[in-house]
Amino acid sequence: MNGVLQQVEWESPLVEPLPDPALQSYARRRQGIPHPMIAYFAPVPWMARAVVDMHPEYGLLMHLDQTVADLVVLVVSQENSCRFCYAAVRGLLWAQGMSWARIQRMEQDLTRADLPPRTMAAVAFGRSQSRSGPAGAQAARETLRRSGLGLEELKEIAFTAALTDFHNRAHTIPAIPAYPIESMPDHLYVRLLRPLLGLIVKRYRYRGQPTVLEPVPPYAFARLVETYAGSPIGAILARTLAEMWASPHLTLRCKLLMIAVIARGLGCAVCAPEVSAALQTEGLKESTLAQVLNHLDAPELDPIERLLVPFARETIWFEPAPLQRRARMLRERLSAPQLLEAIGVASLANGLCRMGATVLDL
Amino acid sequence: MTGPVVVVTLLILVAGLASAIYRQWHQNRTLKAQLEAVAADLQHLQQSCSRFVPAGVLQHLIGDGVQSGIEAAAPERKVVTVLFADLVGSTAMSGRLEPAVLARVLNGYFQRMSDAIHEHRGHVAHFLGDGIVAYFGALQPNPWQCNDAVRAALAMRAAIREYNVELGREGLPLLALGIGIDRGLGLVGLVGARERMEYDFVGRTVNVAARVQTLTRIHQADILVTEALSTELDARFVLIPMPAEFVKGISEPVVTYAVREGPSAAAPSAEQPGDR
Repeated sequence: MNGVLQQVEWESPLVEPLPDPALQSYARRRQGIPHPMIAYFAPVPWMARAVVDMHPEYGLLMHLDQTVADLVVLVVSQENSCRFCYAAVRGLLWAQGMSWARIQRMEQDLTRADLPPRTMAAVAFGRSQSRSGPAGAQAARETLRRSGLGLEELKEIAFTAALTDFHNRAHTIPAIPAYPIESMPDHLYVRLLRPLLGLIVKRYRYRGQPTVLEPVPPYAFARLVETYAGSPIGAILARTLAEMWASPHLTLRCKLLMIAVIARGLGCAVCAPEVSAALQTEGLKESTLAQVLNHLDAPELDPIERLLVPFARETIWFEPAPLQRRARMLRERLSAPQLLEAIGVASLANGLCRMGATVLDL
Repeated sequence: MTGPVVVVTLLILVAGLASAIYRQWHQNRTLKAQLEAVAADLQHLQQSCSRFVPAGVLQHLIGDGVQSGIEAAAPERKVVTVLFADLVGSTAMSGRLEPAVLARVLNGYFQRMSDAIHEHRGHVAHFLGDGIVAYFGALQPNPWQCNDAVRAALAMRAAIREYNVELGREGLPLLALGIGIDRGLGLVGLVGARERMEYDFVGRTVNVAARVQTLTRIHQADILVTEALSTELDARFVLIPMPAEFVKGISEPVVTYAVREGPSAAAPSAEQPGDR
């Protein structure tokens, strides 16, 4: 069943899949079904784990209604023109027993704005955080509060939009094939297995439980992680960030520079100081950082940083095909794990900087 | 006798009912398909519109309806970079070429210029005759808007050179471009009459960019930027200072810089005395 995004131009994949039985079995343990595209992320384990674990269906949300979360994922994926994530969330809703007619009605509702006011405000908030960044988040947050949604729900909507921003970029930039996901419900065997799929998805889907947050080292995004203390979201963010910082394919300085550029491009005043402080800890001079932030380059940068700093900027506001083409140009200069890690860092930073601007001054 | 009549009557009634149900089902299906097609069109339209109107404004227009949306999406003050481009000698060319040929030449020019602007995150706000007004930083926050605008101008210069090779091969007149760029604060939002509104930038910067563009002929330089813009540029752009000139509508003489090269081609050691 076709979705409205199937006409979006989509390049061929930028990286080769690397079958990894351990990773696939991890995904199956977490979600009950094999993850069809996880092999593409295998060269960068933290990214592969984040793709599996940062999912609103599996034990992360404690307060937000699951249907509202699904709608936020759907609308943000639509806004970002992510064919892969859009098809995946539609497929998931279908597997859980929702008819195509109902899914289409939901999509039409998103356009026609005739959802209940609370749901409408939640969806508008998620859309605004993703699309307008910090500039639009304040107004949408006020609307959300007026509609009666509580602080904890608001934080979970912000997280759901952020993780969708992460997934959308992580799948769009390397052009992870969308067609197999889009066409899956058209296969007879998938339709026959649908009740079983639905049962598995429902069995593995669970609500989050209060989770103790281990002390977070004072580093970039530490305040953001601490905002979610007590929720499984805090724990998953802390783990994903720790693994991302420790991953060896790009230097810590390079990752921080990419994040600093994204924070600057989004106008995220709350994340930028932490990132700047971390860069100074890494030995970057203030004048060099200023030059990077103003002109996306500086003579002191190494060749990989000079490639990835302007690339980070491209990921803030994008159209899929041109961004995929630009990423392809990097493929000649970087190894597959380096490119994939750069995409992961930029994807995560886009989600977290948007979310930081929304929730850090609550 | 009564039995067959009743049976036939019942059969006719059942057939009629079945036919009515089928017609209704078919009609519902057609309407549903039309509704889905309209919804899909609306989605595409919304996505396409985001190239011309910021997301927040678009949300107001869709969510609140056009009239209320216009009221809700109040214009805001923003710093925007304005690029004003115009063809040199186009009036003479328009007199010499057949209308169909002229239209083809101009469309090729507009397409190439729009591509160069879009590639560098600008958006074309207006085509004025053979002139182009483009904004950088109007739709989305863009702290790199000055560098983007000058890079777009350099890409436009390169695109015109390539296009001239094609035109020359066909024996058509060659094109020359003048570009003026300025940056400043203004009002951004939906402006216009009830019958026709557009997302626009209103402020002195638009006039300055247009006037600076006219100076390209005096200074014999194809790309000129104002002093306000030059201070924000990456130091690796090679700029050549031009004498200050008075222009229509501005009381102070306007200081401009000609853009010679962009950072990729320029090395700091290659700068000449007087260059920035």
